[in-house]
Amino acid sequence: MAMEKQNQEPRIGFYVCHCGTNIAGMVDCAEVAHHVGTLPNVVMSKDYKYMCSDPGQELIQKDIAAHGLNRVVVASCSPLLHEHTFRGAVEKGGLNPFFFHMVNIREHDSWVHTDRQEATEKAKALAQAAIGRVAHHKALETKRVDINPTTLVVGAGIAGIHTAMTIANAGKQVVLVEREPTIGGHMAKFDKTFPTLDCAACILTPKMSAAGAHENIRLLSYSEVTKVDGFVGNYKVTIKRKPRYIDEEACIGCQDCIPACVFKTPKFADEFNEGLGKRRPVYIPFPQATPQIVAIDPNVCLNFKKGENGDRVVSDKCKKTCVEACGDKDAIDFTQTERFEEIEVGAIVVATGFQTYDATRSPSYGYGRYDNVYTALEIERLVNASGPTGGHVVMRDGKSEPKSVGIIHCVGSRDKKTNAWCSRVCCMYSMKLAHLLKEHTNAEIYNFYIDVRTPGKGYEEFYGKLLEEGVHFIRGRVGEVTDWAMTPEEEGKLVIRVEDTLAGMVRRIPVDMVVLATGLEPQKDAQDVRRLFNMSCGSEGFFLERHPKLAPVNTFSDGIYIAGACQGPKDIPDTVAQAGAAAAEVLALIDKGYVEQEPNTAFILEDECSGCKSCIPLCPYTAILFDEKTDKAWINEALCKGCGTCVGSCPSGSIVQNLFEDQEIFSEIEGVLAYD
Amino acid sequence: MEIKRTIKYQADRVRGFGREVMSVPGCEKLKDCIQCGTCSGVCPLSIYMDFTPRQVMALTREDFKNEVLASHTIWLCASCYACTVECPREIRITDIMYELKQRAIHEGVYPKRFPIPVLAQEFTTMVRQHGRVSEGLLVTKLYLKTNPIAALGMAKLGMGLMKTGRFSLKQENIKQRADLARIVATVDNESVKA
Repeated sequence: MAMEKQNQEPRIGFYVCHCGTNIAGMVDCAEVAHHVGTLPNVVMSKDYKYMCSDPGQELIQKDIAAHGLNRVVVASCSPLLHEHTFRGAVEKGGLNPFFFHMVNIREHDSWVHTDRQEATEKAKALAQAAIGRVAHHKALETKRVDINPTTLVVGAGIAGIHTAMTIANAGKQVVLVEREPTIGGHMAKFDKTFPTLDCAACILTPKMSAAGAHENIRLLSYSEVTKVDGFVGNYKVTIKRKPRYIDEEACIGCQDCIPACVFKTPKFADEFNEGLGKRRPVYIPFPQATPQIVAIDPNVCLNFKKGENGDRVVSDKCKKTCVEACGDKDAIDFTQTERFEEIEVGAIVVATGFQTYDATRSPSYGYGRYDNVYTALEIERLVNASGPTGGHVVMRDGKSEPKSVGIIHCVGSRDKKTNAWCSRVCCMYSMKLAHLLKEHTNAEIYNFYIDVRTPGKGYEEFYGKLLEEGVHFIRGRVGEVTDWAMTPEEEGKLVIRVEDTLAGMVRRIPVDMVVLATGLEPQKDAQDVRRLFNMSCGSEGFFLERHPKLAPVNTFSDGIYIAGACQGPKDIPDTVAQAGAAAAEVLALIDKGYVEQEPNTAFILEDECSGCKSCIPLCPYTAILFDEKTDKAWINEALCKGCGTCVGSCPSGSIVQNLFEDQEIFSEIEGVLAYD
Repeated sequence: MEIKRTIKYQADRVRGFGREVMSVPGCEKLKDCIQCGTCSGVCPLSIYMDFTPRQVMALTREDFKNEVLASHTIWLCASCYACTVECPREIRITDIMYELKQRAIHEGVYPKRFPIPVLAQEFTTMVRQHGRVSEGLLVTKLYLKTNPIAALGMAKLGMGLMKTGRFSLKQENIKQRADLARIVATVDNESVKA
């Protein structure tokens, strides 16, 4: 039936939408409808209040039958919003949906102009162009492509773990990739969680081990994604497995090798404890690490010591006592090297998290210069029972407890010189640390804030609780932290100079310990990750969602989703909610089993192709291949995104793009130019 | 105890003052102020100020012209630029202080014997008339106009320096003073027009 209609004379129906007053306020819709009604091939022309409404769509369907329409043009909003709606209406009316064309007279016209007469003229010209073009439209078929039901989750902090668990619990296969030796991310380092003060490890570690043991989850720790090819439903991903010098299959997690190391006392800064503790070259990040497999740090292990010319020289001080201790399990393998593995997945969730602001970038706060200035993450470890001091809050001398503590909010955040955004979690975690420090040491605690932001369930109540506990809240952004005493009480202390803006006075407050509530920022390699997955970033460098309200976990690449703090600073409840949303989007995609592809793809007229290959390197989706037998190029429709680059580049004009054929485009241009 | 009205009525403001200041090039970003107090926190002179720099920003933005121009704060500002460097909203606080000082001088509401406005006036007068600043003369004038008694105390030191040729009361001049006068007059005309 579609083919029949194609060969008939075009009978075009035109509709112009008022969009309430959005369009009608600036464009005389009745005049546009009248003008279009006089154009050749137009059988009927109407204006209507809301074309996207049910009655509006029914109007199209009825008119197709009543007037024998075989082409439809709607002048309304952006095709991004309602092209799908109107194509559906046209299809319901019995036409091929690609006999429809949409004109944007809202975003491109009424919203951006201030002269009603001019705007009306522009709407007429745009409509005339569409009428010219639609006459040449052809019937097209949307293609279906099968979806690989396996999902890749990148990053195994709380966001990645929750996404992976949700998808795996639905019975789908998940590959969970984490670049550190253990999963858990930042949350594993936290002591308690606000506002309920339940212990972070108690709620996280069961989820970690469940993820590690899940039959549908393949956990690749100490691994990184290095390459992503393909398209929604069919991605080919290359994963680098970094050598941990341990055979993961053979290691049983007994950790006998650790005390056996020739370094009798731990000597090297321990990443998990933010450098406050020490570890050996062979280590497990923390007791509940998942997987329970040790790792060897080649930078400090004597076995990997480099000679002067850079060659590896095994130090004779290394007695390989770890290998001895491992015994017949024989899990230690010093010969391991990087391995690359290729996997195939249908959907990808990027949950690569955040990094904390480097406090040395704010020199006036003295981090790195004064011993007793700490970052918040260091305090998390310091108050933690399994931390470097066993939960005793002592200062860097290892003995004295602080009698007074100043917590400085917004370090690196809300500052145009560093990170302009509010990091969202610092107010709450600062109050949590204030509570914990008071509980551990009974010190006087001062919070220095610009604004207290507690928008969350139970958060404002937590603020109230802190006020009742007698924690001081001083509204003012700290000017400087100094050890220069001006009064006897300031001797030997760190002095915080700040305006108490509510009192309207500048104050100097001496404290023993300063805690910097460092903000959240994109990971330092976020730009590389962005390119890897073909995503976009906002101005801050966090990954950009497709729509801030209606598509918060989707990206502009189909089949690639984001969850957690890689999208923007957020706390654990929001992260988990977003991780669940990402999992739901993945399940909706892979459960459907197929994706429909827009038929606006390009194809090559084989007879005319000269085999010059100029199109091949230009294709951003590597969709063009070369057939050596016929000496012609051909386009893989499944990979083509319809960008049109090859069409413009072909010297013999032998590449054609559906919906953008020369005749269609020229008629459209002619339509605009013919209008006067 | 003297009891004064401290409440501010809308009529106490000078409508448009804030907008006027914020339209001066360099002062626009005052609009972005979030009243965090960093400027006061870093200001070495905030020890002596009646209003903190942050309060001056708030008062300016809210049109409290009389209060701001009568404040000591603008005259205590030593233009060390610490506030401008540290401000998280990139407000050029020091430049706003200069703008306020200029306005106070134009309106004649500055503290008459305070060195900073006197220095500013003597400095510009000297440049306009002679095209050059003669520091010895400038410092002497400053002392005489602000604190003549202290000037007496410095007399002996001054004499000593004069003897060794390190201090002079001679006014230096440029050659083409007439040209300079024309340039300055043109600039003045333009700024009146603006």
